[in-house]
Amino acid sequence: MAFALFVSVLLIAACGLIYELVASALASYLLGDSIMQFSTVIGTYLFAMGIGSHLSRYIGRGLVARFVSLELLVALVGGFSSTALFLAFAYTQSFRLALYLLVGAIGILVGLEIPLLMRILRDRFTFKDVIASVLTFDYLGALAASIAFPLILVPRLGMVRSALLFGLINAGVALWATMLFKDTLGGRRYLRAACVAVIVLLTMGMVGAERVTNLAETSLYADDVIFARTSRYQRIVLTAWRNDLRLFLNSHLQFSSRDEYRYHEALIHPGLAAVPNARHVLVLGGGDGLAVREILRYPSVDSVTLVDLDPAMTTLFSTHPRLVALNGGSLTNRRVHVVNADAFVWLDRNEGMYDFIVVDFPDPSNYSVGKLYTTAFYRLVAKHLSQNGYVVVQSTSPMFARRSYWSIVRTLGETGLTTFPYHAYVPSFGEWGFVLGGTRPYVPPESLPSGLKFLTADAVPELFEFPADMQPVVAATNHLNDQVLVRYYEQEWAEINR
Amino acid sequence: MTLSRRSFLFASAALIGLRRKTNRPLAGGFADDNMSVGHRIRDAASWPTPSRVVRTPIVIVGAGIAGLSAGWRLLKRGHSDFVILELGDQAGGNARWGQNEVSAYPWAAHYVPVPGPNATLVRELFTDLGVLHNGVWEERALCFAPKERLFINGEWRPGLDSVIGLTGRDRAEFKRFDDEVLAARATGQFTIPMALGAPASSPLDTMSVTQWLAAKGFTSPALRWYLDYACRDDFGASASVTSAWAGLHYFAAREPEDPGPLTWPEGNGWIARALISRLESRLHRSSPVYHIAPGYRVFTPDTEYRAEAVIFAAPSFLASHIMDAPRASYEYSPWLVANLTLDRWPKETGVGPAWDNVIFNSPALGYVVATHQDLRTNIERTVWTYYRSFAEYTPAVARRMLAETSWRDWADSIFADLGEAHPDLRDCVSRIDIMRHAHAMVRPTVGFLGRPHPTGGTPRLVYANSDLSGVSLFEEAQFRGVAAADQVIAQL
Repeated sequence: MAFALFVSVLLIAACGLIYELVASALASYLLGDSIMQFSTVIGTYLFAMGIGSHLSRYIGRGLVARFVSLELLVALVGGFSSTALFLAFAYTQSFRLALYLLVGAIGILVGLEIPLLMRILRDRFTFKDVIASVLTFDYLGALAASIAFPLILVPRLGMVRSALLFGLINAGVALWATMLFKDTLGGRRYLRAACVAVIVLLTMGMVGAERVTNLAETSLYADDVIFARTSRYQRIVLTAWRNDLRLFLNSHLQFSSRDEYRYHEALIHPGLAAVPNARHVLVLGGGDGLAVREILRYPSVDSVTLVDLDPAMTTLFSTHPRLVALNGGSLTNRRVHVVNADAFVWLDRNEGMYDFIVVDFPDPSNYSVGKLYTTAFYRLVAKHLSQNGYVVVQSTSPMFARRSYWSIVRTLGETGLTTFPYHAYVPSFGEWGFVLGGTRPYVPPESLPSGLKFLTADAVPELFEFPADMQPVVAATNHLNDQVLVRYYEQEWAEINR
Repeated sequence: MTLSRRSFLFASAALIGLRRKTNRPLAGGFADDNMSVGHRIRDAASWPTPSRVVRTPIVIVGAGIAGLSAGWRLLKRGHSDFVILELGDQAGGNARWGQNEVSAYPWAAHYVPVPGPNATLVRELFTDLGVLHNGVWEERALCFAPKERLFINGEWRPGLDSVIGLTGRDRAEFKRFDDEVLAARATGQFTIPMALGAPASSPLDTMSVTQWLAAKGFTSPALRWYLDYACRDDFGASASVTSAWAGLHYFAAREPEDPGPLTWPEGNGWIARALISRLESRLHRSSPVYHIAPGYRVFTPDTEYRAEAVIFAAPSFLASHIMDAPRASYEYSPWLVANLTLDRWPKETGVGPAWDNVIFNSPALGYVVATHQDLRTNIERTVWTYYRSFAEYTPAVARRMLAETSWRDWADSIFADLGEAHPDLRDCVSRIDIMRHAHAMVRPTVGFLGRPHPTGGTPRLVYANSDLSGVSLFEEAQFRGVAAADQVIAQL
């Protein structure tokens, strides 16, 4: 009996420490600044334990029954602490308040444990033995927990499950206590039933833990997350609401299936339909296969080479049934050749000439992607362009990022190509800009492939008209050694995003 | 109770931190620094008698930038009969480089400022190498944006000089300093190469940078740090020993609108490599010249060269050890250069990595990212070249530290220095290779303009090292090498 009691001291000490580490680590993970989080969580927790110890004096009779109830409370509050924190972060504006309230509550409960246990043991052992043994096992439990947390628990179980597991241990100690103190407790069967109920609840939590992290992510997006994966290069998230499928890369919207056809028809047809008998087409970026879908409407096209950095993207868009339905299985078409490579390096090392080149990269929001919007890159693109060919570049919004847009136009023009800027309205994005480049004058196509939902041949010339609020502005050329575009882009979008 | 918990809480926090620090194995060691061969020459050790004699009109001693440039000039002037003798097994001198599976990286000098219109030799070389065509610089060789960042007050900020002017007074002093630089530039004496404009003496050369700052009433700590950083960066010496003339030269000799600098993953090793490929058949590595006898007889362990002229392009201090020559009175700064191979980028606060990354108030110079000129958008592994000058010590003390400190201790000191900005750096680095440069660069200390230059005593023995200029710059090395070649051509 003595040994069993002291083992339970060890276990509850471990539990107490784990809840504290979970709260600290989770706060560091979600808020950053780990020194601040660890320090304030530890401080709050210790202070709350002091309150708990102080309050223990007001607990009078029925010590064992109180102890069992206390353990069950700790099991519930501590066990579900990380779940609660995740949800608070996802759904509420007051994560910090929830954090400190929860840490305070657990601290008070944990602070009550040891004083109660010592009083229970007081009648059975000498005082000096109680003190010595309780503190010894308390230390040991803390040591075990502090070693297990970083080495086993976080890497193997994750935050949510680690807390739940130790909740189960607390509940286990409660159940064990009801057996050890059968005589003292007498006929209080309800305590044992409560233990079982808490254990069932926590086990259900363990099973559903996966969903909690997903749930937390879902709330960041308006719609249900149907696919989420972190590839080597980016976080890919796909959401769905009725017929609306949306792709987010690093939480930036890439397309909405409700209006992506506007973007992709505008990206491809003004240029490609104006190249007579285009046979070889190159797509840089565009791993979703939607631009390729539009290109495949041209029977003259023999081959489409798609160069996208991320195999996770091209695989997803070659296999996921809803995405394959959206891009018409374009990525597995026999005319299409998918290459997973960095576009700049690939262009540098390959010789091929193309009649139409599509440059469809994420916006130039940082110096890395910015390299793909420089004179050096466009010169390389121009070298791969056949005599009669055109290149088209997606060029952010001429409305919201006007200087950025005209900087891209100017940069492309710097390579010796003649530029033909145009734009189209895509509801999900707003007014969106593109620019065509080629070595010969641009003549709008007389006809477009059949089956388009947005563009008509008559409407194409209108795309090249810019209203007053999108007219050219003075903007510098974007070179590798200055990357002015990244600064333009940052400034302009900072004024719009709140 | 509370006490026991508290102690464990801190122990647990330490455990999380410590696990990261001790788990990772670290590979690497000292790269070959030719120290033992150098010491054999210094100590006049006995060398084997050469087994063969080769007659050749011109011998170039040393395959650093000066020696390679002399060879480049000779070839361009139609002289193909010469040899270049290099002490170490790698040519390039301060432009040596290394390469591993992640990237090429420099072992010392890592950039050349874009030369102005008067730097005709540098422009001619870069035209030869395809870096300059029709007046346009190859954009892949110009340093990509972002170029510089500074770690200060717990975060990385863009630029080196633009943001450290924190207070209005700092900014005013930076502005006033810029005006001083403009005025200095207007005098026409701060040129690259120096021989085109530098006077034999100057009032500015009678005081240190620190004294000059005081005399001009500059008190901003930020400006003082910046100028001291500049001296340590270019000369390996502190502002308190650097000649004010040299300190101003650092700023006034550069073009005001520099679109560069020019840089490559292997730093100036890219230039060395290109020169070496043109001179390969005449270049003899691991051929230490241990003696030069009258009559232009040049001795290496296996060959005696009988020449008609010698270009001594090795550091001038070596001359008195191998031939009858007076001791050169130059002082040289020692350096330590470490290449850190990273499997991933460390965590950090503030703006993202730049080419040159400097930590405010660090005794070191920070690091340069070797993969910065990589065209890829996503670079997962990288190499950082870490530079440590020892401006706070005398060169002799620093050299002893270089010789006596273990690789492991250097690695720890590098982690400690960079750890301020990158707390989890140990987790990212898989190897550290270190090169100890005992005599990396000549120091332009107060009075350097008037120092006597060593001469060979005959017009056919010509010194060519950049130390003759008093500043260790690529352009000076090239100029001295070319000038020596021209002199030798005129004599033959």
